[in-house]
Order: sequence, then structure tokens, then C-alpha cells
Amino acid sequence: MKPNVTSISRRRLLQTGAMAASFAAMPGLAMRPLFAAEALSGSITMIKGPHSADEAKFEAMIINDFKSVAPEVDVAFTTYDWANMNAELTTGFASGNPSDVLYLVDLIYPAYAKQGALHDMTALVDSPDWAAERAHIPEFAWALAKQGGGTWGVPVLGAVYNIFINKDLLAKAGVLDSWNKSYGDMMEAAKKITGNGTYGFSARTRTGDFAFWDWLPYVHNAGADLLNDDWTACGLQGAEAATQFLIDMHQAGVTPPVGSMSTQEQFDLFKAGRIAICHGETPQIGELVANSPAFEWDVAYAPPGEKGQTVMGNFGILSIAEASPNKDAAWAFIKHWASGPQVGRFAEQVNLQVVRDDIVANMFANSPAMQKVQQDFVPRVKGIQPHPQILKMLQSIWPVAERAYRGELSGAATIEEMCGIIDGILKQ
Amino acid sequence: MPGTSELIRARRRQSLRRNLTAYAFLAPALAMFVLFLAWPVVMLFIQSFQTGGVMGPAKFVGLANWRQIFSDDLVRQTIFNTLFYAAMAIPAVFIIAMVLALCLNAIRIGHTPIKTILYFPTLQPILIAALMFTFVLHQDFGILNILMRAITGEPVNFLGNASLAMPTIAMVEVWKGAGFWTMLFLAGIQGLPRDLFHAAELDGAGPLRRFFELTLPLLKPTFFFSVVFATIVNLQVFDSVFVLTDGGPANATATTAWYIYRSLFSFNEPGYGATLSFILVLVVLALTIVQSFWFREK
Repeated sequence: MKPNVTSISRRRLLQTGAMAASFAAMPGLAMRPLFAAEALSGSITMIKGPHSADEAKFEAMIINDFKSVAPEVDVAFTTYDWANMNAELTTGFASGNPSDVLYLVDLIYPAYAKQGALHDMTALVDSPDWAAERAHIPEFAWALAKQGGGTWGVPVLGAVYNIFINKDLLAKAGVLDSWNKSYGDMMEAAKKITGNGTYGFSARTRTGDFAFWDWLPYVHNAGADLLNDDWTACGLQGAEAATQFLIDMHQAGVTPPVGSMSTQEQFDLFKAGRIAICHGETPQIGELVANSPAFEWDVAYAPPGEKGQTVMGNFGILSIAEASPNKDAAWAFIKHWASGPQVGRFAEQVNLQVVRDDIVANMFANSPAMQKVQQDFVPRVKGIQPHPQILKMLQSIWPVAERAYRGELSGAATIEEMCGIIDGILKQ
Repeated sequence: MPGTSELIRARRRQSLRRNLTAYAFLAPALAMFVLFLAWPVVMLFIQSFQTGGVMGPAKFVGLANWRQIFSDDLVRQTIFNTLFYAAMAIPAVFIIAMVLALCLNAIRIGHTPIKTILYFPTLQPILIAALMFTFVLHQDFGILNILMRAITGEPVNFLGNASLAMPTIAMVEVWKGAGFWTMLFLAGIQGLPRDLFHAAELDGAGPLRRFFELTLPLLKPTFFFSVVFATIVNLQVFDSVFVLTDGGPANATATTAWYIYRSLFSFNEPGYGATLSFILVLVVLALTIVQSFWFREK
């Protein structure tokens, strides 16, 4: 999940306060303890990548509220840098004294779980006294937290990879209602709009920008995935045509030149009104709300493929380090963090999605786009397969896609080469 | 008078004292060398036969890491990319630095501000340099691309084009390093005996002849240090690659040091990273030995 580091305005802070108040007023979701933890004591640490420049302030709110639940437990919060999360987390685990509570994304936690660095939380999340809370988190989210027979965390947040559309450009080209009916319609719309420094379409192309997030929905819509059902071999067969479509888009001259712009630069160009259909991610909605562009915009998802119309998203879980000396307090804090009022308030503060289904109806009242994402997009999410080597697979195959987008490979040859790499990694 | 045997014993004692004193002075540096260089290299070699070892106990895997390296296409590509980068960056920075050093040597008044300006890029952290070069190279608004559009009508995709990305990174590194090498060469030139140059001038040798037949041969020790040092540094190129391209596009700028980092910290494969590191150590060592023989023969 890429971070969205922005400062918070006074207006936004007031909105946040109002939202917190509305959560507190919700029946059954008042800021009251969900469990008894008065007997706990000691100190724990939590580490998380920042989703906002005000991350520490928002975490302090959660920690302060936790004091009413477990007055004898001190929580110290610290952050890791997203770009170096693996390096920092690995160093922490290697020290033998990692943070007790860790916010980990689905892309990296499986590797730590496999190496025994995380505590198997199966017994904790399945305990009867937490059953009501557990039921609010849908099974697709739990599936992302499970791997190798264990449950390695509580799913809390998600980031959806949506498409931003410039409605003015699409309307001017007469394709506002038709651009996402099919891949052909999207190509036609992009061609009509491209010209005079304006591009019809953009998707991430660089490995460093995690470009595979924008490719995967097309793969999923074709009924394929990185791995087969039992994760024993490449599962990309079937995604040839979808990959060829993206190659054609990049070869048709309707996108910025391949590799010329980072994801932020593409989004900046969208904000400048020079890209009509721009792949992005939901934390960027905050930027559009804070600084309204001079055109009408909306969020959307990719056209339907042969086997469905999915949305890509990745999720964050709260885990406990196996080396934590105070797992009871860590579990109490995770339950508090994952509770409706806390996670709901935090998600609104940083423009992320929640996985709990009991609070979504009341969220993002002031942001129709975020509400649309939360209520319409999240149920369509098909995430990654949390294999311990998923990050290595994605980062290793993406250079093949980069070559393909440059016109060096066909869709079929791309998938064949990618499968060779994935199968090679699986054999290691 | 003392006897012969007594004299010999006294000399031996004196020699022993002298040797012990020398070793005592050497000891701190030697301890540092063993602790921070020799021991890590030994550990790398041991780790190259293991897997894990960072978050749990290491497991012996025999030659598995070495076999994987020989079948990994990306390793071959990273070695090629690293050598390609070094072959571009080292000669380029040396030529530019030598020209600048000769020019600075010829300037008698006001050279200090010029030296400061020239050295300034060397002091820039790579993040600042990368940000600056974004404004120079950007496809849309980069100064260089505004010029390119004015001249050719088409912008150039410097960091997104697989053929241009590595030369572009070399260009950034040359810009950053030129100041350092200029100062080094200038110090070398200013340390050369002036009377030789006066004599050559009186004998009618022109500036070019004086440069090729006096300056360059006399700078041999400086060059030896520079070539060895530059080779070692450039074969470990990492930060500019990490910041500017992260190995892309399509692995065109993936260097060995970058792949070591990725193996260690992105893929949690310390054994594989250690094997790659050991290979890099061997390559650097081999090149240093070749260079020292080459300079000795010359």
C-alpha cells in the first residue's frame, strides 16, 4: 500500500472531530471498551508505515483511548518508511527485540510468518469472547491474513487501486457513458481524447512504482491470477489477451511514454487536466478533495473482462511479533485498534478503506468519492495471493511487462516468460 | 668491551623492541581491518553456503546459492550493467576532471570560488541530486528536454528508455564526482616539480607535449590510486540507481550492489545476497590486482 503523506488542514481536523463524534453516537459503537483489559500492565511498542504526515497524532488518539481500556499499559508508537519497510522490519526482527504490534501489508507479512517472526493468532481471533467482532470482518479479508495454516493478523485497512476519470474530457469526446463498457471502448475513448499534450489513458509502468497493481485487475478480470489454485505453479494462463490489450494501449500512443513518469507525475498530469483515464489509488482522493481541479472528476474501475469486473486492493493487518514478551497487552491493543470506532475514525482521517462491514454505511459522509469506493469498490476487491514469495514474484516479473509495454513482446510471450520466472521461484 | 655474543644479543633485543613498537602502532589499524573487512568477508563466504540466519538460525544448503547464481539471468545482467556503467563513468569523470584541473592550474587569480563551485555537487546528497535532475531530465518540463524539443522537436525519455537510462545515471554520477577528482588531480599537478616543466618549455616542448610526456607520466602514482579507488567505488554503484530508477526500466540499470540489497532486504534471502556480495568482492579484488600489475609494468 503506497503511503499518502499529506498535512491536515484545520477544516479537515474539525471534520475528523465531527466524524469521531458521529462514531461515538452510533448505537453499539460508542467509544467504550469492547473487552476487559484492566488487569493488563506493562509497556508495548507498535510500528506502522505512515498513511499521513499526522500519523503520530492520529495514533496518539487511539493510544489515549486505549488508556481507558487498559490504564496500566503504555503504548509507544513508531513508524517505518514505506520504501524501506522490509529493511527496517527485517532489522527489527533480527535484533530479537522487534515491536510488539506490527502493521504489515499483505505483500510482505507472509515472508515474515514463514520465517517464524510472527505469532500465529489463530487461537486469539477464534476465541469466543471476540467472535462478535470477528464476524464484522468479511471472509475475503481473513483469507488475506491466512497463510500456511495460520492466521497472522487482524485485517484492518485497505487501499483500493481505482481509476480517476476526467469527466469533462470524456464528455467532450462524447464517451462519458461508454468509455468503460469494454476494453475496446476504453481504447476508442483514449484515442479520441489523446492530442495536444493530453493523454487518453495512463497506468503505472515502473517496478519501483509497484506497477503490477494496475495490471492485476485486468489479469483477475480474465479469470487468471499469479498462481494457480493450490499455489504450486504459475496461474497467469488466460491473461494473454488482457496483457495484450494493455500493450496495445501503450503502443497506441494514448499514454505518456512508457517509463517516463512516476505514478505521482502521472497523477499530477491528471490533476492538470491532461490525462482522461488515470490509474491511481484511493489515498489520492484526498489530494483532489483538498485542491479541487478545474474539471469534474470521479472514481471508476476497469472495464469488465471475460470472467468478471474486479478491483485491485491490498490490505494491512495488525500482527504480533513472536518475540513479543507482552502478547496479552499486544492483543488487547490490536482489538482496540481494530474496533469500529477506532479503525473507522483512522480510515477517515487518512482516506483509506476499512474491511469491517458494520461501519461502512456511516463513513465518508463528506466525500462521495470515498463513499463510492468503500461501498461499491471494496466488495469487488480481489487481492493478492499471500504467498511467502509473492513480492519476489511480482518484482521479478514486472521487468518483462515493462519490455512488453515498450512493444518488445506480445501478450502471449509476456505471460510465457512471466510463468517461467514464477515457476523458477517456486522451485527454489 | 662487551663480547660478540653479548653484542648480538643486544642487537636482537633492540630489533625485537623496534618490531614490537611497530606492531603496537599497527595493532589498532590491523584490528579494525580484521574486524570490519577480513572477518565480514570470511562471514560472507560462510553465509554463501547457508540460507536464513537473520530472523532465525542459519541452515546449511551446500552449493545451492552458487548454483542459483550461475542459473540466474539477472546476475549476469547486473554484472554486465555494473561493468558497462563503470566503463562509462570512470573514463568520463577522469577526462573531465583532468581538463578542469589543468584549467584551474593555469588560473592564477580567483580560482578559489571556481574550486568551491566545482566541488559543490560532490557535497550534495544523492537524494538532492536526483531531485535536481528530475527538473533537468523530466520528459514534460525538464530543462534538457525543453532544449531537446526546441532542437529536435521531440523530448527524450532519459530514465525511461532502456538504452539511455544507464548512461543518464552515469552522467549524474560524473556530475557529482567531477569536483572530487578535479581537486585530486589538481593537487597532483601542483605537486609536480616545476623545474622540469621550465626545462621542457626552454627546450621547445609545446603544452600538449608537456602534458603527454611530463604531466601524465609524473602523475602515475596519483592515477594508480585514482583508478583503483574509482573502480572500487563505481563497481558498488547503488544509491543513484536506487533513487533514480530502482533498477528499471526492465532491469536496464540493475547493478550488482542493487541486486544484493534487493536479495537481502526485499526478498529476505541473506544467503543469496551474501553469495552475490562475495562475488563482487572477488571481482573488485581481481580488477585491483590487474590494475596494480598494469601500473607496475608501465
